[in-house]
Amino acid sequence: MTDATSETQTLDQLTPGQSARVAKINGKGAIRRRLMDMGIVKGTEIQVIKASPLGDPVEYRLRGYSLSLRREEARLIDVSHAI
Amino acid sequence: MTIHIALAGNPNVGKSTIFNALTGSRQHVGNWPGKTVEKKEGRFRIDDEEILLVDLPGTYSLAAYSVEEIIARDFIIHERPNAVIAVVDSANLERNLYLVAQILELDVPVILALNMQDIAQSRGLKIDKAALAQKLGGAPVVETVGNRNRGLNDLKQVIHEVATQPPQSLPQPVYPKALEQAITDLESKIQTVPNLTEAYRARWLAVKMLENDPAILEYLEEMGATDLLAAGEAAQAQVEEKTGEDTETLIVDRRYEFIGDIVGHALERPSDSTLTLSDRADEIITHRIWGLPIFLLIMWLVFQFTANVSAPFLDWVDVFINERVARWAGALFDAVGLGDTWLSSVIIDGVIAGVGGVLVFVPVLLFLYMALALLEDSGYMARAAFVMDRVMRTMGLHGKSFLPMIVGFGCTVPAVYATRTLENEKDRKLTGFLATFMSCGARLPVYVVFGTAFFGAAAGNLIFAMYMLGIGVALATGFAMKHTIYKGQPPAPFVMELPPYRMPRPIDVWRQMWERTRGFLVKAGTVIMSVSIVIWLLMAIPVRGDGAFNDVAPAESLYGAASGLIAPVFAPAGFGSWQASGSLITGFLAKEVVVSTMSQVYGVTEADGTEEPVHFGAELGESVVDAGKAVALTVQEIANILPRTINLIPGINLSEFDFLGNAGEEEENSRLETALVASFNESAGSPAWGAIAAVAFNVFVLLYVPCMAAVAAMRHEFGARWMWLQIGYTLGLAWLAAVLVFQIGKVVI
Repeated sequence: MTDATSETQTLDQLTPGQSARVAKINGKGAIRRRLMDMGIVKGTEIQVIKASPLGDPVEYRLRGYSLSLRREEARLIDVSHAI
Repeated sequence: MTIHIALAGNPNVGKSTIFNALTGSRQHVGNWPGKTVEKKEGRFRIDDEEILLVDLPGTYSLAAYSVEEIIARDFIIHERPNAVIAVVDSANLERNLYLVAQILELDVPVILALNMQDIAQSRGLKIDKAALAQKLGGAPVVETVGNRNRGLNDLKQVIHEVATQPPQSLPQPVYPKALEQAITDLESKIQTVPNLTEAYRARWLAVKMLENDPAILEYLEEMGATDLLAAGEAAQAQVEEKTGEDTETLIVDRRYEFIGDIVGHALERPSDSTLTLSDRADEIITHRIWGLPIFLLIMWLVFQFTANVSAPFLDWVDVFINERVARWAGALFDAVGLGDTWLSSVIIDGVIAGVGGVLVFVPVLLFLYMALALLEDSGYMARAAFVMDRVMRTMGLHGKSFLPMIVGFGCTVPAVYATRTLENEKDRKLTGFLATFMSCGARLPVYVVFGTAFFGAAAGNLIFAMYMLGIGVALATGFAMKHTIYKGQPPAPFVMELPPYRMPRPIDVWRQMWERTRGFLVKAGTVIMSVSIVIWLLMAIPVRGDGAFNDVAPAESLYGAASGLIAPVFAPAGFGSWQASGSLITGFLAKEVVVSTMSQVYGVTEADGTEEPVHFGAELGESVVDAGKAVALTVQEIANILPRTINLIPGINLSEFDFLGNAGEEEENSRLETALVASFNESAGSPAWGAIAAVAFNVFVLLYVPCMAAVAAMRHEFGARWMWLQIGYTLGLAWLAAVLVFQIGKVVI
């Protein structure tokens, strides 16, 4: 938690307006595959748009479309430092 | 020879608009065999060729993680259509091409329909059609704007060309070297397994094995291809060692690279992206503060539409079939000398009553499907799920489950059909299961009669308690199922696209309303008819006294005897009289029938008094006038949504419209109420306990088997096994709850 540059973040830690590139997708089986099928692969740029009124899920934008993910799902995605 | 064409594409790309535009009214909506997934087929002609168009479920991928994906790919593999039209959203080309890449890997002729070109252009996206076609190895590319019927003639011409020409081979993703080596090795092993390559192409199977495709691995296991499976695992380990990545990731990554190459050549993006109208609308509609009120308002409107706006036509159908047509048929039988025979009775009390029982659902279903089509086609449905997911998740459900639950307060039948909006089969079944506990409109008259009889002015407390109990039972059941039959199963991914807002097209809305309602009439109709006739038969057969067939008092019929036989079962719940059990049996026809049966068995109403002579012409005229009134009342109900909605704000009380001046009609039930109190006091064993028995009875009515129409709908949507599970669970639970209420109540009071 001391060195912000070398530390990897997960997607759920970004705040609205921030963007980052996907580094790795954790998890397994259906959920991991579904994330990849929706275009979340290594190197994809993802932007956080906004959280739902109750705080979860959160809307993201990638590859020119909007996707909503629960926080527990976004937590599976490692991203590089925010752009 | 008929040309077979499949229509594939992501959800929300305007696939059904293209389907409707091509097939017009020559379409059929049903379910895929044994599945809860809607199947649409349609026919049309190009020159002299007959084309059969099958609409595949909308999917993002052809992995085997959802029923829809399996259905779509199995259809392409096993039915071998002459061509697959891949409909893509031009404004979202990249992600849409991911599915196309997987269709190409199935070695089937592909036609690319670039739909919604207008939206792409308005966003400044330029697609080079020629470059795209060239990158796709010469596969035809057609620009379409489905909702303006543009490009359809081009599409038809291309279908004709592709289907009549020998198939040409199209490009496919080529995988990294280590992976290609593994694929080739596996391919040669696959060739040695007998019968395997008849159904599947070796390369595709090899790729799927390396993707860890659960359906394919299971299939190979069933085939007994253990050597091959071992080789697959070894190959995966080898590739992983060489590349440091798992094979599934490598394959998906490579597909996106394949797409990136195509898009890089054929798509020109604007340098700076501006907010679209849809984006700006969404800022308000799913706003942090406004999002919830807007959601609740829209759900309120949907409920108004399905429950109140459909009511006038529901009443009209009821009166027309059950009174007018029944009387005409009676007069007809009299005229040919068959009046009051068993034949006239089975037709009037069995068949016509059954038809009436089916047709009364038509107005409510039409209105429900209209609301659903508007919500889905506009893009709001995904937002509703986005807003509500946090709440529904506690029950193990998806955000989209909220809508069927709300609709369930109106009627369980449309609630069951409303589950179609959910993407995942498990979510659909669980939501349908729980929606039956939402207290529907037909259960309300029972609470009202009992509430007034036993609690007088405090009747409202009983009614409120029943609604709350229903919600509580749904919550508890959802929680219990999450930890029993779904135990250990990971929750279905939520991962949901938020499509851009769009204006729904009336013709598409109407097609969904009509085709889906027709599906109910055909499938559920037969079940409802049969049950009506069985109940009629039970009431017509005498077992005691001096009654004859079809001329017997309820108490002396097989129905009365059966009720008497069941009655002791309910003794621990305090309502072990044959009248109470009997009304529960007929309550299966429709729950409000509990009240009318009680009127009949307690002798409050005369069963079929003297009939007035039939004046066919005059009555037909009256029916037409009534239909006019129903139209007026429908308009009134639509108009009343506004004051009713504003009245939700505390302190405001606008008056509602009353076009025909007949608001506030109340039926007189006092004689029934007196009889009820006496009967329940007796069956409870003490006048002090009659009210507790009445509450227990209401609890039973709330929880026991939903009416036959709902059961038929469940069978239609979820299959017979699930229907029986529902029947067993609800009966057991209702009995247990009623007994608990009575026994605990006796101690407490």
